[in-house]
Amino acid sequence: MSYLELKNINKSYAGVAAVHDFNLDIEKGSLVSFLGPSGCGKTTTLRMIAGFEQLDSGTIRLDGSDIVPVPPNRRDIGMVFQAYALFPNLTVRENIAFGLQMKKTPKKETEKRVNEVLDMVRLQDTAKRFPHQLSGGQQQRIALARALAVQPRVLLLDEPLSALDAEVRVVLRGEIRRIQSELAITTVYVTHDQEEALSISDKVVVMNKGLIEQIGTPEEIYRAPMSRFVATFIGTANQFLGKTSGKNKVLCNNVELLTGDLNGFEEGQAVVVLVRPENVQVQSDKPQQKNWNIVPGGIETITFHGAVTRLGVNVNGQRVVADITVANTQPVSLNQKIWLMFPPDACQVMAAEE
Amino acid sequence: MAKSRSTPFHVPNKKIRPAGWQVFLVGFFLFYMLVPIISTYVFSVATRWDRTILPEGYTLEFYQRAFDASYFTITLRNSLILSLATVLVSLLVIVPTVYWVHTRLAGAKPLLDILMILPFGIPTVVLALALVQVYNFSPLARSPFLLIGAVVIYSMPFMYRPVANAIQAIDAHVMTEAGQSLGANVFQVLSKIIIPNILPGILSGSLLVFATVFAEYTLTSLIVGARFKTFPLLLVEFTRINGNVASAFSVISFTIAWLVSILILWVGSKGQVAKTKAIRTG
Amino acid sequence: MKSSLQRKTGHTVDWLGFAPFLLFCLAFEIVPIIFLLRGSFIEKTTHQFTIQHYLDLQRPLYINSFINSIKLSGLTAIIGMIIGTFIGYAIYHWPSERVREALITLSDVTTNFAGAPLAFAFVVILGMNGVITQFMLQYFNYDLYPKFSIYSFSGLILAYVYFQLPLMVLLILPAFAGIKKEWQESAQSLGADTLQFWWRIGIPVLIPSLIAGLTLLFANAFGAYATAYTLVQAKLSLVTLQIGYMIAGEVRQDQAVGMAMAIGSLFIMGLSIGIYQAATLRTRRWSKS
Ligand SMILES: Nc1ncnc2c1ncn2[C@@H]1O[C@H](COP(=O)(O)OP(=O)(O)OP(=O)(O)O)[C@@H](O)[C@H]1O
Ligand SMILES: [Mg+2]
Repeated sequence: MSYLELKNINKSYAGVAAVHDFNLDIEKGSLVSFLGPSGCGKTTTLRMIAGFEQLDSGTIRLDGSDIVPVPPNRRDIGMVFQAYALFPNLTVRENIAFGLQMKKTPKKETEKRVNEVLDMVRLQDTAKRFPHQLSGGQQQRIALARALAVQPRVLLLDEPLSALDAEVRVVLRGEIRRIQSELAITTVYVTHDQEEALSISDKVVVMNKGLIEQIGTPEEIYRAPMSRFVATFIGTANQFLGKTSGKNKVLCNNVELLTGDLNGFEEGQAVVVLVRPENVQVQSDKPQQKNWNIVPGGIETITFHGAVTRLGVNVNGQRVVADITVANTQPVSLNQKIWLMFPPDACQVMAAEE
Repeated sequence: MAKSRSTPFHVPNKKIRPAGWQVFLVGFFLFYMLVPIISTYVFSVATRWDRTILPEGYTLEFYQRAFDASYFTITLRNSLILSLATVLVSLLVIVPTVYWVHTRLAGAKPLLDILMILPFGIPTVVLALALVQVYNFSPLARSPFLLIGAVVIYSMPFMYRPVANAIQAIDAHVMTEAGQSLGANVFQVLSKIIIPNILPGILSGSLLVFATVFAEYTLTSLIVGARFKTFPLLLVEFTRINGNVASAFSVISFTIAWLVSILILWVGSKGQVAKTKAIRTG
Repeated sequence: MKSSLQRKTGHTVDWLGFAPFLLFCLAFEIVPIIFLLRGSFIEKTTHQFTIQHYLDLQRPLYINSFINSIKLSGLTAIIGMIIGTFIGYAIYHWPSERVREALITLSDVTTNFAGAPLAFAFVVILGMNGVITQFMLQYFNYDLYPKFSIYSFSGLILAYVYFQLPLMVLLILPAFAGIKKEWQESAQSLGADTLQFWWRIGIPVLIPSLIAGLTLLFANAFGAYATAYTLVQAKLSLVTLQIGYMIAGEVRQDQAVGMAMAIGSLFIMGLSIGIYQAATLRTRRWSKS
């Protein structure tokens, strides 16, 4: 039995479903991210766990007991908001002590605990300041400290970093992950930043339009997306539409692609083949590899992305994107005729819907 | 593989209702605010309404008598003259000043703010006493001109707020510089850019000043009194003479206030439309 | 193009643009008030400095006027602030936006319904033969009079609260908008109940607006004249009524006493603003503005 279990949760606003048939098990001490486009129901789900939204149907069990009837202030669940939500009339110390005071913790212990969490977020010297005297990043650390001070059973974070600068964001997400694993606190982390979700999570839940698209480790989500939505939402993927032919071939747009085993598909079924740009290699002369996909094309765009350079290549009228690192490729130029190659196991095949 | 996505699951639409305490408080508020007004309306058409819960009969006689009252047209005319003159002076004195301070003289903003809230801190009787004491020589002494000066001061905050908001909202300073950099002179900037853009604010302010001055009693009665009788003075006079006719006057005065409020709302919504349009096209 | 510093301080020429308005305020407001202050300290015949006019204020009539005015303004300001805040909260959380806007418009209109029409409306409902008076008499067999009278202090309170309530509603609504939903939710997830949230966070955050409202309501009632003039006349002495009588020459009092009274009421206005400043001194440590 998992620590936090969400079963068949439904929630709709004015007749329109915001979350539909949501099922999720979260292990004790793990960090799970909800990832998805705006309006897909991430916040709604989080707020149902916190108790700020009522469920239309379904159950939420925490440590074996149903928490749906428990009001938010008795759930023992900490929450961190995007807009920090520090109390403006209380100092940093008073903000952090607030939850402990609500629990009638003895003064000495409160003091000790406040100092502990201030140490944890490395902001001991701000204790006497008011929230408006702190930077955004500092405010969010204090908000985190405030939520952690009461040692909640679960920590919820709703896009905690999206109001911050890119640089602060990267530092702070590392901090959050460090503190989370040190305390081994069960955490749900909402974000629409895929890099953030992939880099700090034990498990990622990809959501779309109120539904779970896929649950998996960051690697699974990236390497084995189970739907076109996941494949295109997480990272970039080249898509080839076509029909299956034989045991390991897909015919698309006059290109024949060699793929892995096509066991699950019928002959001639409409499918889509997904290939990540970093799996596409570029050669100026025709490569000789056996059993690889090798197609000719012309370079249409070259975009410098820092670590990689992204090429937009016209292959028989279809745009194919390839990422190359400067270290292992010769210089390229616009309109250059080149060859693209990628192995069959870089091709992921899924049924084309709609 | 992804689940099929046949999204709209329709659940019975639960409309959010206000809570009981809200209904109670707002109900009390409505009762307090509306009962006196509604009663005045009913009283003005009631034949007799001092022995029963509901009036004994209805009549328009009191309106007839109100319109026939010897001073009715004169006071109405005087009130209109006073209100319009005040709006005019207000526009001439306040609007250019607010524009000037916002575009050329940001340093004077605190002083302007203080001058604009000062009238709230001076009881009208005190203002009346001060003016009557200082201007005790003709032609100003106890004249309508002195009165106009007084009511302009008294109604100043009502003009200032909407105009200042409008000028702030359009970033008049940047607009002026943009206009000038495109070769417009000060006059063209004002007539083609600034005034059309802050017109809703100017209109709201003018209407507010108009309504305020139209109902003004204290300054008028204490500075000029019977020499320049306005509508509110006539109303007070009739509360002593005939209650029913006085209620007819009250109704007229309420109705003007409502009309002006509706106009202000309407102007405000126009301003909103203009704003969103400007955003969409610009 | 001017530098921003120049724009802030301005050239002498720029100040000329401000001159017409400044002159207008000087002519019709500031200079007359200064003369009023001066006049209140001048003996009429000898033109000597004197504080006699202020000593004259000790007469029972004037003392009572000040006491009545302060009691009336203070009481209606407190009633208006408390009830107005609750009504404002109910309106702020009303689910329908159209109802909310309608109630705000109503407040806008009714808060300006002071003066004779308002006074008269209260006579219609609560006068000797008023609708509510009749209703109480016929259905509850209870005669409001003579215990209550619309022409007395208690009647004035009812009439003043009429314009104080909506004013408070208008003043407090923006303050409710400043209380973030996330604060309530944070407090809840930290174990606080509704009462604890309001006690520790909500009310402290509202305090500046509440005190500002109280001050404005007090000044609003203290300066009111027409409503009282129509309702109570000579039955109750108020500062504004006394000053009014002196201007109109209805009483044969020395006008200089009126000036002293006027300066006295300006002093009370100033004092209430001072109290406001002092009371919000603490909150300025944490509020940004
Ligand atoms: N209080 C509400 N009333 C009506 N509809 C709501 C309410 N809250 C959310 N919704 C709707 O429910 C859906 C899910 O909203 P939710 O806030 O959970 O999205 P989200 O995934 O958190 O998006 P974002 O990334 O923009 O924060 C949206 O379509 C939204 O419009
Ligand atoms: Mg969200």
